[in-house]
Amino acid sequence: MTTLYVLDVPENTALAQVAAEDPAVSVGRIGPYFEITAGGAITIDRRATGCRHAVWYSAVAAVARDSRITQHDKNALRVEPA
Amino acid sequence: MTKLDHRVKGVDHAAFPTFDPAGTVRFYRDVLGFPVVHSICAVGWGPEDHPDFIHFFFDIGNDDRIAFFYYFGTEPYHQTGRGDAYSAFGPDVPTYFIRSRHLAIHVDGYEDLMEYRRRLDASQWPVEMQIQHETIESIYTHDPNGYMIEITRALRPVTPAEDLDANLTIDALLDVVAEPGPSLAKLLARKAELIVERAAQWELERTGL
Repeated sequence: MTTLYVLDVPENTALAQVAAEDPAVSVGRIGPYFEITAGGAITIDRRATGCRHAVWYSAVAAVARDSRITQHDKNALRVEPA
Repeated sequence: MTKLDHRVKGVDHAAFPTFDPAGTVRFYRDVLGFPVVHSICAVGWGPEDHPDFIHFFFDIGNDDRIAFFYYFGTEPYHQTGRGDAYSAFGPDVPTYFIRSRHLAIHVDGYEDLMEYRRRLDASQWPVEMQIQHETIESIYTHDPNGYMIEITRALRPVTPAEDLDANLTIDALLDVVAEPGPSLAKLLARKAELIVERAAQWELERTGL
């Protein structure tokens, strides 16, 4: 299981929407956060989100201990099972 | 933890030394238009060999002030070319670290930010960077003393969710720095645990129970 948390603020809305386009990914809510989960890897394309760099590189609120970020660059954010 | 009541009222003044009072007055009063609101002319006294000095203040809005000390008869204590009138840095110190300490002055919106940009760009201290950060947009320059000055506007108001998130971040940070080898990955993992721990309480608050 892969779990990524992103704060629900206007800058991050597109990120959650792009994540949800992958049928293997679920986007739920926990408190003020989007809870983005998948059985395998979660990959989010930065350009598809339209996030500028300052937003993109600070968008991750939390990553569950059984998951790890394997890519977070100008192209994509990828979180995989640890 | 007992909730401490919050009584303070912003910045009274932030003070810096200057060896260039003429440049400092030109920059803050004549270029930026910050009024001179206070000054103290003092004879040196006390146990140290304290020089005579002028302590002068500019209004930075909201009745907050930036203040300078000019000590008569003194010369800069260092000449490294990196740093400012207060502190000097060698080639081994990265620029991001030197820039980390700065004063940011708030404006209400884009028009005001651009007005200060125009004033600076018409001076000998033009804007060096204009950056949209996460939720603020800022212009930067260095004053005649080498101090980095930022003028910034909010792109939108900060939400209560962001305050909550900030507190979670700090709680996670304290846990992570108490252990060896703190890292962002460890902080994000600790934060995920805190989110799950506190979710039930958030749900109670959300439903008003």
